[in-house]
Amino acid sequence: MNEAVASRARPRTALWVAIAIGVAIALLVTVLATRDPASSRLVRSPLVGRTAPDMDAPTINDAGRFSLSDQRGKWLLVNFFATWCVPCQQEHDDLVRFAAAHTGAGDAAVVSVVFSDETSDVRKFFARRGGDWPVVADENGTYATAWGVARVPESYLVAPSGLVVGKITGGVKFAFLQAQLARFEAGR
Amino acid sequence: MRKLAWAALGAVVAVALVIGVTDRSPATDEERAHRIGRTVMCPACSGETVTDSQAPVAVNIRRQISQRISAGESDDEIRDALATAYGERVILTPPKSGVAGLVWVLPVAALVAAAAGLVLAFRRWSHW
Repeated sequence: MNEAVASRARPRTALWVAIAIGVAIALLVTVLATRDPASSRLVRSPLVGRTAPDMDAPTINDAGRFSLSDQRGKWLLVNFFATWCVPCQQEHDDLVRFAAAHTGAGDAAVVSVVFSDETSDVRKFFARRGGDWPVVADENGTYATAWGVARVPESYLVAPSGLVVGKITGGVKFAFLQAQLARFEAGR
Repeated sequence: MRKLAWAALGAVVAVALVIGVTDRSPATDEERAHRIGRTVMCPACSGETVTDSQAPVAVNIRRQISQRISAGESDDEIRDALATAYGERVILTPPKSGVAGLVWVLPVAALVAAAAGLVLAFRRWSHW
């Protein structure tokens, strides 16, 4: 009698376990499939809260010499990128929009630092895609290493005081940058 | 005879410890860069040091290590600069100060305690 009850219960238990596993897999696939792979996010960095590492170099796009200390008094987005990096290509229009939105007010600026790329390719990229902010070459990776850049794209938001307030990994979005700027300006 | 054996054992341990902790400086800057690179994890790789990896970030860090060696910086100064930018997690040798510095002290303390324990145990057994 007991054996008969057990044999009836076993298939039902297996069914419920199979359903639970199936639901878990479906949820996982849904989350992974709907997530934006190149979304910007603020991440921890030892540089946050510290004075931005110095940067003083000629630009490769006729924007004169770029000096980080000359940028005091306005927000600065330091963007490390390469033309061979797809998320860098994808974020470029948002950078153009961000730079244009703040050119008039002069409250924020962008500087791009080339990461393991050819200067000629970068010039062609900017000529084709737009963007007239300073672009600094980094032949030996001096700036990338000083800023702790592991892979591109990575961007750092520097406050008007010269302190690094945020590190952003992944391609940046215009709305995200605006929101972060507003948040940091409000002191949150 | 027994005292001689103990003295010989003590001499062997002392020589082994001296050889183990002596900092043998590499002959060339290139060897030194290689050695430092083996103590720094590649921040964009999994389980590779910057010496072993060909990732762009590892190439950059190797160049910076070489430049800093040429500029006369010590191994610790170079590692500190990398830790400032990338975080302590990339440094494979723990710092010699702070709580993490205990990893240098604890093995020595454990060795001394073990040796003392053995001496006490041997003495007790010799009285039986």
